[in-house]
Amino acid sequence: MNVKRRTFFKGVGGTLAIPLLESTGAAASTSPRTRFLVVGNPFGMHPDFFFPSQFGKFGETAELSPTLQSLDWVKDRITVLSHTDHNMVSGHGREISFLSGVLPADASAFPEKNMSIDQIAARQFGSGTRFPSVNAGLEDGIRMSWTANGVEAAPITDPQKLFDFLFLNLTEKEKQTRRDLLNRNGSLLDAVGNQFSSIKRNATSADHERIDQFQTSVRELEKVFSDRGNWIDKDKPEFDISGHFSESEVTITNKYNALFDMVAYAFETDLTRVATIAFPSLLNYTDVKGVTRSYHGCTHNGKMENVTAELVAIESFQIAQMSRFLKRLDETPEPDSDGSMLDHTVVLFGSGMGYGGTHSNRNLPVLVAGGGFRHLGHFDAADQSGNQMPLCNLFLTLLQRFGIEKDKFNTSTGTFSELSYA
Amino acid sequence: MRDPISHLLFRCLSPGFLLLAASVSHANPALLEKHCRECHNEEKNKGDFELRFLGDKPTQDNIDYWFSALDLVEAEEMPPEDESKLSAPERKKLIAYIEKAIADFDVSSVTKAAPLPRRLNNREFERSIADVLGIEDVGTHQPTDRLIGDSRYHGFDTHSETLGFSRFHLEQYVDAIRKIVDATILTGPQPETKRYEIDPENMVREVLNQNSGRIGGRGKDGHFDFLDPRLGAWLDGFEEAPATGRYRIRIFCTGKDRLTYDSEHTGVYSGDPIQLSVHLGDRIRTFNLPDDERFEITLDDWIAEGTRLILRNPTDGLRQRGNGNFKFQYAIAADHYKKYRPEDYVEFVESRRNNPNLPRSKSHRPDRWHNWVGRWEGPRPRVYRVEIEGPIHDSWPTQRQVALLGDNPSVKNAETILKPIAARAWRRPVKNGELDGILALVRDRAESTGDEVEALKEGLVGIFSSPAFLLINTGDMPESHRFVSKLSYFLEGTTSPGAWKKQIREGGFPDFASVKAVVEESLSNGRAVGLTRGFPYSWLELADINFMAPDPDQYRFYHRKRVSEDMVNEVLAFFRHAVDTNMPIPEFLSADYSFINQDLARIYGVADSVPLDSKLRRFTFTDGRRGGLLGMAAFLTSTADSLGTSPIHRAVYVMENFLGIHPTPPPPDVPIAEPDVRKAKTIKEILEAHTSDKTCASCHETIDPWGYAFENYDPTGAWRDEYVVPVAIERTGDEDSDGAVEVVYQKETLPVDASATFRSGASYDDITGLREHILNDINRDRFVRCFIVKLLTYANGVEPKGTDFIEVDRILDTSKLHEYRIVETIAAVIDSPLFRER
Repeated sequence: MNVKRRTFFKGVGGTLAIPLLESTGAAASTSPRTRFLVVGNPFGMHPDFFFPSQFGKFGETAELSPTLQSLDWVKDRITVLSHTDHNMVSGHGREISFLSGVLPADASAFPEKNMSIDQIAARQFGSGTRFPSVNAGLEDGIRMSWTANGVEAAPITDPQKLFDFLFLNLTEKEKQTRRDLLNRNGSLLDAVGNQFSSIKRNATSADHERIDQFQTSVRELEKVFSDRGNWIDKDKPEFDISGHFSESEVTITNKYNALFDMVAYAFETDLTRVATIAFPSLLNYTDVKGVTRSYHGCTHNGKMENVTAELVAIESFQIAQMSRFLKRLDETPEPDSDGSMLDHTVVLFGSGMGYGGTHSNRNLPVLVAGGGFRHLGHFDAADQSGNQMPLCNLFLTLLQRFGIEKDKFNTSTGTFSELSYA
Repeated sequence: MRDPISHLLFRCLSPGFLLLAASVSHANPALLEKHCRECHNEEKNKGDFELRFLGDKPTQDNIDYWFSALDLVEAEEMPPEDESKLSAPERKKLIAYIEKAIADFDVSSVTKAAPLPRRLNNREFERSIADVLGIEDVGTHQPTDRLIGDSRYHGFDTHSETLGFSRFHLEQYVDAIRKIVDATILTGPQPETKRYEIDPENMVREVLNQNSGRIGGRGKDGHFDFLDPRLGAWLDGFEEAPATGRYRIRIFCTGKDRLTYDSEHTGVYSGDPIQLSVHLGDRIRTFNLPDDERFEITLDDWIAEGTRLILRNPTDGLRQRGNGNFKFQYAIAADHYKKYRPEDYVEFVESRRNNPNLPRSKSHRPDRWHNWVGRWEGPRPRVYRVEIEGPIHDSWPTQRQVALLGDNPSVKNAETILKPIAARAWRRPVKNGELDGILALVRDRAESTGDEVEALKEGLVGIFSSPAFLLINTGDMPESHRFVSKLSYFLEGTTSPGAWKKQIREGGFPDFASVKAVVEESLSNGRAVGLTRGFPYSWLELADINFMAPDPDQYRFYHRKRVSEDMVNEVLAFFRHAVDTNMPIPEFLSADYSFINQDLARIYGVADSVPLDSKLRRFTFTDGRRGGLLGMAAFLTSTADSLGTSPIHRAVYVMENFLGIHPTPPPPDVPIAEPDVRKAKTIKEILEAHTSDKTCASCHETIDPWGYAFENYDPTGAWRDEYVVPVAIERTGDEDSDGAVEVVYQKETLPVDASATFRSGASYDDITGLREHILNDINRDRFVRCFIVKLLTYANGVEPKGTDFIEVDRILDTSKLHEYRIVETIAAVIDSPLFRER
């Protein structure tokens, strides 16, 4: 991070008053609000240090594993799953299916192709917020967010750019373009709405249900468009992240703090309800205490203790960053509802690779936090025959939590009904 | 896991219905009393059936029970053999009684069902817009990629209730429609035509690894070779189409080294040509290349702005080694040298061995794949040059625009211009005043932009966003148009072709003969994809084939050769054969042949009798184990779990899709021991333990015999005489596999018992016996009836129920008159009031 940028960060912002909610009106706050954050890495987690040795609730029958130590304060609100995966053979290149269970090459066989769950959630929430989703990484992303067959949702990999994207106001021209499209869509819905009178007049009773569904969707969408129109002229919330860059040396810790804080603030102000944050493979983690080697190098540790320790340090760092974010959310009361923001935000941590050291894509490291679930501690998802649970079962449960009506998601064979929410 | 065990309940039965039936008094004839009451009374309601549900006689609400009773008594499955004293003459009498009761039912008392509208599914949406606009497809810019995926109902993607509608759907529709229209009607100044010549140095390999900033390798020495089938190449200098329009693309290329390596090693069959595929968004064109002979591919395609052009090696091979990643294939080069060029091999190995300039990983293990990257001579397409010219517009405005909006696209003429388009899109004449809203939209847009073509485009978006386009089979349509629209979606999956207009004017398709003629015409001109693809996908649940794919470590071949695609294609080829030859429907089950290629032949154990290529050909099986739907791997694998098989899943599939019997899931409170493959027990032993429970037994005795015969087929559908109970052990591979984890299976074997006895007393020893049983008169009629029901479900978006089965049996009679031939049966379905009036 160069000096000029830091100055810029400092210059922006100012007062951090009570955040103004971005979205307004009923359609935007399809209450109660739920949000979704995915935190992912490309190489999985060292299983010996990630998976707790016992099953059950933490502090009762199970204890937190070494990698998960930073989550001690929130251990009753997390679930770590063992024995769940996407049924993929080992090797690199398959971890990109983390959030869908489907490789790009197999995408055509599935109704939503290899669209990742964050993007499906974004499509659902998107019309209610300024940004359907925010994908962030540092210096690079990881390939986990896919909008469609072979189309990656590219992450923003620079804190400055993320700042600009989230908090910089639109130019007059941009505003005009958006206003224009919204107006067109608004008039279009008017015209379509007028069609109903003629269709309904001659409709049989069997038609009414379908036509009502259609009519309702026109009305709801009109509302959404009009809400979106309000944001265009409204300035975005102000945000100050200069604090993260005030020290003499800017480390990846500061940068990740900044990324997570921006996402937290975007959640708080309802700029977006869906985000992903990546810990990429090529990032230099030597800022982390005890790390001297490359991330990928550490995964191929040949079981040497000192190298393994470096890997565990990197993995613990990733969890600790997420933990800090969870804390921030937990300290913020949920606007217009009970509980903290954490109770309304589902956080998924994991990877499409089980463990880089063996290139295994079985038994993926998966952790769910917050979201108002009745959490399970460390849970064994294998069935009695020892079959791993399809990870899509968990995803289906998460999508249902977001109010998405689905009874199947890609390779799901059911829901992960053990994870219930109040 | 799927529910491994299911309870049985025939046709339809809802809780509300139970209550209703319970209030009816009961006076059944003596035979029913004598032979059924003992098991089907208020206390002991085996199979969830009580005799009193039948009431005095069939009514609209209880007729399902009468049909089920008739079906089961006819099939001699009820009363069960071991508990029955019903003599043959008595059975005849009982059948006659039930038949008469059903025949006496007054159909005119039934409330007439109204046509059921539904939303277009996504494939119909795409096809319909393209057909109305007169374009080849919705465009190469993947405008529909954010549409919400359609859920299926028991395989059906035309199910009305399942095709929901929400604001999320509508928003994505509007967005997709805008993108499609924008890439069809071009405004502004005519873009300049440019020429691009791309040399191999500017063909760049895609990267799929985590380092997304990395740029892949480029061609050199005058060519670009496509090695790894996962990685296409993009063109530096023509990264994406700069403007929408027609592009002429010439690719100079050849096939290299088709036969250098043994196809057993590469997984690329020696009989298959080398291919190159050109990806324009999701429009993919694939070409066969000659060996070592310069070849020119010419494409003339309408390409949307922003489309990336990607070239790729489309082979399903080159994944055989290591964990299937391409890099491990390089070791084949080492094997090849060793075998055929031993001197070169020694020389090369010596040059590497202990070479201090090489990293240890290479110098110490000359056989490792790393060393052979530069020596790969595997089958691959080679490209020398790509020339692109475009966008080419022979006229401006474009022909596409003129065809839609005419020579004089003005707002003044908006109604004249848009009315015929709306009539095509809405599949009916446009009523007076109906376009007013859309015309107002056009005027507003013209006012705000001053661009009349832009304004008319807005009108097109309006036409397609209208419920009259997005909903089909609505009751407000004139009858003849509704029927024709329904027929065209049923046959062709799109809006009716212009040629049918005349027929509508002349009275439509009033009878069996005219319906049959249109089915035959649609089949012969190749447009009937709704029937030949959409329907078998729905009926046979083909989309589900990989929802529980065989274990990738244990069943490598299945995954590495993409065999599931061949399996689905086998079904489609058989179905195509059925309609092309007007096959009698029972032949789906009785055939001793199917359509297979080498990949399938390996699953079916007949590899030696089938050429080494990927083409599907008719093949006759002589062992009685294959042929027709019952031996097809698509059915056998989609009903299996990843490591094991379940006779119940397969039995349920056979009952639901071949016999028309719907078992419903077990009540939620039934404890079910999941099969534990780690214990050395066969599935049969496990199920027998489960069904020793009386409450489970009454249903399972009916279900399970339909499944046991398939126990001789493993999760990929391959034949087995014994179960191999795999115990998985993970092991880190050696250096050659890059330290990848290998899963090793310790094996225990147990013999397969594929015999079973039906409740009727009929029994079989293995699949050949079941095949005989399923072809007896009663089961043959069940199958054809089921086929009719599936066609109706596909057409109507809802399953026939209750009194509909009276009409279903009439269609069955017509089918029987025509030796169950498929075209006549389909025509009889379309001609029936169940199709016409719904």
